[in-house]
Amino acid sequence: MPQVRMLADRVRLVSEQTDRFKTGRISVSIALPMNDMAAANSLLIYLLKRSCKEYPDFSLLNGKLDELYGAAVSAGVTKIGEAQVLTLSMTCLDDRFALTDESIAEQCAQLLASMIFKPNCKCGSFGADNLATEKRLLIQRIEEELNDKRTYAFNKCIEYMCAKEAYGRDKYGTIEEINAVKMADVYAAWKNLLSTAIFQITVTGSADAEKIAGIFEMQFKKIERNPIVPETVFILRGGHFNRYEETFPVNQGKLVIGFRAGMQHSRDNIHAVTVMNDIFGMGTYSKLFMNVREKLSLAYYCWSRLVASKGIVLVEGGIDTDKEKKASAEILSQLSDLRNGKTDPEVLESSKRSLKERYTFTTPEGICSWYASQLLQDEIITPEDMVSGVETVTMEQVCEAAKKLSIDTIYMLKAQEAAADEN
Amino acid sequence: MKIKQITNEKLGETVFCAKHSSGLEIRVMPKAGYSSAYAVFGVKYGSIDTAVKNDKGNFETIPEGTAHFLEHKLFESEDLNAFERFAKTGASANAYTSFEKTAYLFKGSENIGESLEILLDFVQNPYFTQQTVEKEQGIIGQEIRMYQDLPDWQVMFNLLRALYSDHPVRIDIAGTQDSIAKIDADLLYRLYKEFYNPSNMVLSVVGAIEPQEVFDIVDRCIKSFEGKAAERKFVKESPQPVQSYIEEKLSVAQKQFLLGFKENLSEPLLSLEDEIASQMMLEAIAGKSSPLFKKLLDEELIDMGFGGELFNGFGFSCVMLGGTSKDPEKACSIIRDEFSRCKAEGIDSVAFERAKRKFYGRYVMSYNDIDDTANLMMNLHFNGYEPFAELEACKGITLEKAQKRLEEIKDEASALSVIIPIE
Repeated sequence: MPQVRMLADRVRLVSEQTDRFKTGRISVSIALPMNDMAAANSLLIYLLKRSCKEYPDFSLLNGKLDELYGAAVSAGVTKIGEAQVLTLSMTCLDDRFALTDESIAEQCAQLLASMIFKPNCKCGSFGADNLATEKRLLIQRIEEELNDKRTYAFNKCIEYMCAKEAYGRDKYGTIEEINAVKMADVYAAWKNLLSTAIFQITVTGSADAEKIAGIFEMQFKKIERNPIVPETVFILRGGHFNRYEETFPVNQGKLVIGFRAGMQHSRDNIHAVTVMNDIFGMGTYSKLFMNVREKLSLAYYCWSRLVASKGIVLVEGGIDTDKEKKASAEILSQLSDLRNGKTDPEVLESSKRSLKERYTFTTPEGICSWYASQLLQDEIITPEDMVSGVETVTMEQVCEAAKKLSIDTIYMLKAQEAAADEN
Repeated sequence: MKIKQITNEKLGETVFCAKHSSGLEIRVMPKAGYSSAYAVFGVKYGSIDTAVKNDKGNFETIPEGTAHFLEHKLFESEDLNAFERFAKTGASANAYTSFEKTAYLFKGSENIGESLEILLDFVQNPYFTQQTVEKEQGIIGQEIRMYQDLPDWQVMFNLLRALYSDHPVRIDIAGTQDSIAKIDADLLYRLYKEFYNPSNMVLSVVGAIEPQEVFDIVDRCIKSFEGKAAERKFVKESPQPVQSYIEEKLSVAQKQFLLGFKENLSEPLLSLEDEIASQMMLEAIAGKSSPLFKKLLDEELIDMGFGGELFNGFGFSCVMLGGTSKDPEKACSIIRDEFSRCKAEGIDSVAFERAKRKFYGRYVMSYNDIDDTANLMMNLHFNGYEPFAELEACKGITLEKAQKRLEEIKDEASALSVIIPIE
């Protein structure tokens, strides 16, 4: 069971102490409502990652990280439900392996805290050049989503499906919004984040969590907190059914089918929904793997993904464009079998065993991200809790959960044959 | 079986090494405090093996992509396929093919011994029919199409095709639609017999398992005692590249580039020291804390994904640097200038020491992960090294050695590969 400490209003530290690993990990997750500030927030997290007062430029900070035995810092932006979640994480060598008597983890925590609370910011400016660079890199990051057609298609389906919900927004903000961000907006975003965001600091490793807690607690003492908890809209059923398509000069088409899972909140019926999704299209025993791939050779990959934080399921497959009808018919026919109990009982057992394995984390990153993903939950659950829940799921509950899946949106990325021939 | 224990005091890890009477090499690293184990059963047979020695002692050409095709097919059997068998133990199984090897693996926390038996058993029992081979041609065909649309993949293979005229490192791992069409069940059986004999294989297990249990299972499950290690053909290359520039148009947002410098090899394999010295040299010159990185970033010629690495194996070695850029030619000219400057003025010693510290840290960190550790031990064995050899080699790298490796980078042996967006 992890240790939980409250450091300030809606700021908690969750730590799992272990000396199993050669590394430690400290991850700071910051949740904000998904709104018009998304672009400024995204730019901010990358600016914070670049430098801090003590190491005021990108090369100096990276030099310091190299000295800390190649400690790695990463920044990211994700969506958890309709919250925009900014993350700043560090992985570092465990103190036991330092060549001198020093605590690497505490130095890293200190560095992370400096990046967040003592950024390289003078008179409300993070540096015009720095902002320009981060704008360019962020825009490039968004444009490059086009390079990987699988992720592109996946995101596109969500964009159409949740067009009227905050979840349909780009997690980084749009290119137009990013271009329009001014220095004052970034500064305001920083101030707003420190005061209103929900924070979770997640720590794994052998380091003394008490000391790490102290480092962050001291910083939060200086801040007046008025936390805002982001809310997520759950839509139970897909009302009208829409299909969208785009054509690209590529070799392989991508089919994505978006379903509403009938969930009212992110832990609603979660054990049954998890098992149902796994049997539908996650494992090698799943209906989609066994049929769309193995039996019909339609795809190299075809699986379903559950996004519990929004209550949706997406099925994706890389297929030949002219096989779209055949593939979607097969996917829906497999869903129908799942609803009607046409599933080998042995598959249910396989799924439970496999899920149990997937909740057995063997890396600090795995453990960290399990807990970090719960930053908006009041009650923290352990992987063992999840396994116990999954073990009680019956075939009837799987069928019921499958019956609640309702199709909402189809997105088809079509391959343009002429272009494919050119190659 | 004679068992040798190799311990690294600093890491606090011990590897149990043995050679089974069949010729199979075994490596086991038990890990205290872990509840899972990871096992990998590897064959020295990869995509570069496009020739086999016949009875007359001559190398005979085989179609491209056979190693990868066999990897897909071994999961099948006359009754339950390997996935179905692993589903009963809960372990998650997978496999991959690289340039130099094929690896079958599983990870699990329960019934580890049973899963290990399944792993050894299915890899030793090939079963193909014309019908199942044809089915797989469809699935692999989709896999090939998927990779053809991935710019990161294409930019690298195009570079390899520009650098190497004869060495099979220039061909795609999965082969081509045409080459896999030439594969039939008879050929697969023949190649299976050629490569899949214990003298050509290694079993590497890390995690929650006792070494003796592994050795007992191997004793019980390894059936074949025939065959010898397959001989690999050393394809000598001319020092010059085939062409100095290659480009392809793909559906991407921005130009991507990869600059490669081919090394003139007199022996098929580099020493581990040379390999690591090159990696450190590249980190010191082109890593994130280097002046080169800063200059390229400031001039808006790269994004954060820019990096360099040594890419080497049996009969091939080249340095590759690349990323996304609006002007690859200009970025490359700056990179070439920086190499020239470092050749003339010497690599910055502070940067080198930082790189060395970073590599030491990263090597230690890699022992965190049971997956990484098992694969590392397999790779070290295939290249003729004992466990922990990389940590020892790392300590011995000096600035002079790094400088010497820099001298091997020759402008006349370089090629530039560029992916251009389709308008």
